[in-house]
Amino acid sequence: MLDPAHGGTDPGARGAQGIRESDLLLDLTFQTRRALEAQGFQVLQTRSGNENPSFDDRSTLANAQYGAVFITLHISSTGLPGTVRVYTMPDAFAAVATGSVIGWDRAQAPYVTLSRKFGDAVQGQLAQRFKGSPNNSQSATIRQLRTTAAPAIAVELASVSVQDRADLDRMMPGVGDAIARGVAEFRPSYVVPGAAGKYP
Amino acid sequence: MSRNWRTWVVVGLGIAVVSAAIYFPILRRRVKTAAKIPEPSEEQARRELTQAIAPSPTDPVVKVKMFWTSAEDESALAPVAIQLALSKDPVLRAKQVLNTLLAGPVESDLRTLPPDAALLAFYLLPDGTAVADFSEALATSSPSGVQSEQLAVDSIARTLEANVPQVKRLKILIHGQELDTLAGHVDLTQFFVVDTKAVQHGALSLDMPVNIAIPQVAAANNGASAPAKR
Repeated sequence: MLDPAHGGTDPGARGAQGIRESDLLLDLTFQTRRALEAQGFQVLQTRSGNENPSFDDRSTLANAQYGAVFITLHISSTGLPGTVRVYTMPDAFAAVATGSVIGWDRAQAPYVTLSRKFGDAVQGQLAQRFKGSPNNSQSATIRQLRTTAAPAIAVELASVSVQDRADLDRMMPGVGDAIARGVAEFRPSYVVPGAAGKYP
Repeated sequence: MSRNWRTWVVVGLGIAVVSAAIYFPILRRRVKTAAKIPEPSEEQARRELTQAIAPSPTDPVVKVKMFWTSAEDESALAPVAIQLALSKDPVLRAKQVLNTLLAGPVESDLRTLPPDAALLAFYLLPDGTAVADFSEALATSSPSGVQSEQLAVDSIARTLEANVPQVKRLKILIHGQELDTLAGHVDLTQFFVVDTKAVQHGALSLDMPVNIAIPQVAAANNGASAPAKR
């Protein structure tokens, strides 16, 4: 499940050159989708045009899929241009899952460890292509990830502050390919709960 | 005599014209400058009212650790040691360090919070749960993005952890309201870990219900009621 963040009345980060995060994300999603489909994955999107589903609507789409992984795509307003970072929910969030019933607002809790593994796989691929990017994923308490019941990561490119939009356009095929390779690398370790031994 | 009088009048008029020619551009510049000075907003006025927490003469000057953006790595925080007169009262102490954090470091590029943001209120419950209420500018002026928003929140949490040990976890409100996110990414509906050691040792869980019961000893000694806003 690919999630181009923002959209509609929420343009996301805006650069001095008039670059809008929400517009660029559709292009990045297209490139990533193409790379994933080339690897044989089925791809769904939370939005395909300039609409802005709520956080919960986006999570609802992802949570209805069996054996899905969730990738929310972002472009920052700060950070070293030309780098890409992957974020997952912090370990402390996993500790909040108590009892056998997990509430909607804590849907990510059982997946925190898997998400970290998924994030590290994608970040490792990105670090090989984009100099200055970290080797491992980082923790961040991201609203969109919290309600997602699947291995879930946020991928953030830096940044809308570039002088020319073409700098970001040139990154997109490489980012899409690195994400697809990271998903393929992660796939063998993703055993869907309730279907032991079976890969999605 | 009458010719002299006319000469003096002409000279006087000449001086007046030259003076006006010099003074009018200056006057015009002053009017333009005055027009550019914005009226103080409601938020600025509130900030002036809420920020002035002058240290008491009895507050000891101690070394405190503030967490701003690292000069070497803009994606990380770095501790900066400064001398500050700090109250022993945890709520006043938290307000003093957070106001210093908001004021920013000497190098303004390294600040983590927007310069026009203000701390409106700070509450501390007996179980170590803190609630920090910031002005709207914290949400509207923070750069949008996972990295910048997480740095902002982490700088608040790490600065409290280093200087106010009574704070275990933190809830951030914006003008008294719970927002979904800070600026589109980082979740403000949850508590943030302040006492990282307590979480590691299992003594603190983020979904732990808020406990506002007064410890028996403290209640007996002080007759206090909680939560107290100062």
